[in-house]
Amino acid sequence: MDELKKIAPELAKIKKENPFGTPDNYFDDFSARLQLRLEAEKKATVPRKIRFADILKPALGLAASFAIIFMLVYVPLKTFMPNERTEVSAVTDDYDEAGILDYIENIDESSFVSLLNEDENKDVFSDDDLTLYVSANFSDYEIYEKLENQ
Amino acid sequence: MPDPDQHIIADLKDESKRDLAFHLLVKTYQERLYWHIRKMVLNHDDADDVLQNTFVKVWRSIDKFREESSLYTWLYRIATNESITFLNSKKRKSLIPLGEDNEYLMDNLTSDPYFEGDEIQMKLQQAITRLPEKQRLVFNMKYFDEMKYDDMAKILDTSVGALKASYHHAAKKVEEYIRNTD
Repeated sequence: MDELKKIAPELAKIKKENPFGTPDNYFDDFSARLQLRLEAEKKATVPRKIRFADILKPALGLAASFAIIFMLVYVPLKTFMPNERTEVSAVTDDYDEAGILDYIENIDESSFVSLLNEDENKDVFSDDDLTLYVSANFSDYEIYEKLENQ
Repeated sequence: MPDPDQHIIADLKDESKRDLAFHLLVKTYQERLYWHIRKMVLNHDDADDVLQNTFVKVWRSIDKFREESSLYTWLYRIATNESITFLNSKKRKSLIPLGEDNEYLMDNLTSDPYFEGDEIQMKLQQAITRLPEKQRLVFNMKYFDEMKYDDMAKILDTSVGALKASYHHAAKKVEEYIRNTD
């Protein structure tokens, strides 16, 4: 105290008292409030038992999601798409480009021409149509030459 | 006559008596720790929070108490650390600019409905809020609590010489503020 008078005489003159107060019965209630908080913390920190289902739950959820998406997409497609479309697709899928080329190469020229003319032969031409076609596509010389050869 | 703290410590280590011993410890030290904390944080609500945090920490750390220090020293150390942690956290959340730490404390002081001091007491408290944290702690423990330097050294883990120097500087600053402020 003497030391304080030397270094801080004005401070030493101030009466030492506690200027702070508390609510009524604060210290009487404190212990009970603390107990409540400790009980709450004890409950919060009790470790929960880990069950096998808890580990599987995320994986099962994911699998179920995929199954639902598959059902939502596949079933309507299967139900509403026409069967013919599916069959045609199946048949055309059997032929590839190389197979078609092999088939054309193996066929002889006369068979190929007759094949091409097969549909055309079914058409009915009149004499006038034929005359018009020949005069438009062949010169007189070519017609004469063809007739001489026969 | 046996030391009552020894009895509490022995019962705290006994699982079957722990709850009752802890209740006794709270009843024994709640007021002393409250006033120590209150002088640091200034506001009653904050002091209540910090006091609860202190006892929760004590409850969780009972097994770590090695009796190398007295129960009283150990409790004061936890209360001091909790007070400093609380104030630092409040300052961070309040986004107070560096070097204006005392503004938060000043607001805490003036807004506290449980401040019952007169004008000169308010002036003294305002002078104390302007001190650096360590000096404020030392000043409060020496000036108000009249704690021995040896005990303070154990609680704050500092040498007696350093504590004396801190108190000397703090008292000079407080004196200067009281002299020069109307």
